[in-house]
Amino acid sequence: MPDIILALLRLIFLGLIYLFVWQVARGIATHLGIHAERRRRRGTKVVIVRSDTQAGLDFTVTDATVIGRSPEADIVIDDPYASEFHLRLVATENGLTLHDLGSTNGTYLNGRRVTAPAELRRGDAVQVGKTVMEIR
Amino acid sequence: MTRNTEGVLVAVASALAAFGVALVEFAGGESIGAQVGLTFLVFVIAFGGIHVSLRAWAPDATPLLLPPVALLAAIGFLEVYRLSPYRAGLQRWWLLLAAAVTCAVLAFLSRAGLSLLRRYRNTMLLVAVGLLLLPNLPSSGPLPIRGLTQGGSRLWVVFDLGFTELHFQPAEIAKVLFVAFLAAYLADRQAALTGAHRKLGPIRIPEPRQLVPLIAVWAGSLLILVYQRDLGASLLLFLTFAALLYAATGAAGYLVAGGLLAAGGGLAAWRLFDHVQRRVQAWLDPFADYADTGYQVAQGLFALGTGSLSGSGPGLGRPDLIPNAETDFIFAAVGEELGLAGSIAVLCCFALFLAAGFGIALRSRDRFRTLLAAGLTFVIGLQTFLIIGGVLRVLPLTGITLPFMSYGGSALIGNFLLLGLLARASQEERS
Repeated sequence: MPDIILALLRLIFLGLIYLFVWQVARGIATHLGIHAERRRRRGTKVVIVRSDTQAGLDFTVTDATVIGRSPEADIVIDDPYASEFHLRLVATENGLTLHDLGSTNGTYLNGRRVTAPAELRRGDAVQVGKTVMEIR
Repeated sequence: MTRNTEGVLVAVASALAAFGVALVEFAGGESIGAQVGLTFLVFVIAFGGIHVSLRAWAPDATPLLLPPVALLAAIGFLEVYRLSPYRAGLQRWWLLLAAAVTCAVLAFLSRAGLSLLRRYRNTMLLVAVGLLLLPNLPSSGPLPIRGLTQGGSRLWVVFDLGFTELHFQPAEIAKVLFVAFLAAYLADRQAALTGAHRKLGPIRIPEPRQLVPLIAVWAGSLLILVYQRDLGASLLLFLTFAALLYAATGAAGYLVAGGLLAAGGGLAAWRLFDHVQRRVQAWLDPFADYADTGYQVAQGLFALGTGSLSGSGPGLGRPDLIPNAETDFIFAAVGEELGLAGSIAVLCCFALFLAAGFGIALRSRDRFRTLLAAGLTFVIGLQTFLIIGGVLRVLPLTGITLPFMSYGGSALIGNFLLLGLLARASQEERS
């Protein structure tokens, strides 16, 4: 019986050591900017989840991307309520930032109208007219 | 990671040290008692003290340095306790003293800053050389301070305090001062060093004149090898210098020249000195002279093999069969009792410490701080590589301690002094 307890305690001891190492390793990865660098290089994926004609399309934001109705925009959305140049998504170290470019009908983040540049998180819903995009 | 997380991790490491001691006692069939509590208390005071002084005097320093050190100290202490409870008792005192040194460094430099070291670089060099020469004092005489030869190397100094004797290895402190001097020297000589280069194919070759300091240090480290018979300190000194020259100039030619000089010096030492020859022989074939020169290396290999994947468990192996298990061969003891899993965790901790240290060097905007952080981190990395390489039979055995883990007061104090300087460099870089 004591043998089993001892064997178990030994494994718990090793397990705790690894848990510790894992915690420190995560801290170091952030410190050296490994996460941020990887995210920046990979970009952030945005999916159009609701639209009359474009539902299911996706695009990846790696630097600054302008979204609007104009053919000159980086991402052209087919929505009569969208402005020519409606909003800009900027990839930063922490993910994406949303800038509304003075659009006529406004940009809504999770149902709320955006008045100042906003940081976007995974799962956020960005609405332009009738089009809804989700950050992945 | 925040300072609070650092505090939690330091507390966890202290608990792990106590847990390890409890496992050793449990395995030995003893009742779990005072030793466990005492170990926990000492770790909490030592590392908690450093944590608090970081909060007070270096609040912006990275919180990533201390946790790996605390875990290494915990695992090391567990094995030292397992091998010799008496020495573990001493080690606890050394740990408290070393932590006090870190706190003192942080407090002292919080006002003056690291630039103080830069200003007094020549003084530091003199002190470092003086410390290196201390063991060459006569072994007997009227002085209360004597040199001592142990295990064929003249590394020790004995302070005769009348009622007791204190043994000390001054090279462990000298190495930190020497790195600080080099960083200051190279930061001041920056322009002269990077100026002139000759091209030889793709490699930039430093001007012959620029190689004079390199050759001077090479000669110095050979002298250490001859007069103190210390292969480890000699290699450490020279390779650190070559690495810092590379860090300061970015010229790979220094690494090539340094490597060639080290190889040449090593080869000459191998031809000339029988103690180097014995080491190389024990490295190439420890079983040829198993009972004598190869015994330590062979026992270390047996220990690692016996340990297998998860080890025998603390207190259940026989690492006491390895000569010097609690100093040079502590890694073999960890390998036997905590297995491959434990030894890899130790390597991870060292890797994380090095990543944090080089991170500080890369982010520093000041040349001196960059070189200081890079040099200090390199010393820890090289020491770890040399001794673990020696235990694993990748390299000939050099007989230096494993930082933060081995038993030994001078080593602990030297390395905790280094930790304090690194934390200070990080503080200045981020504030």
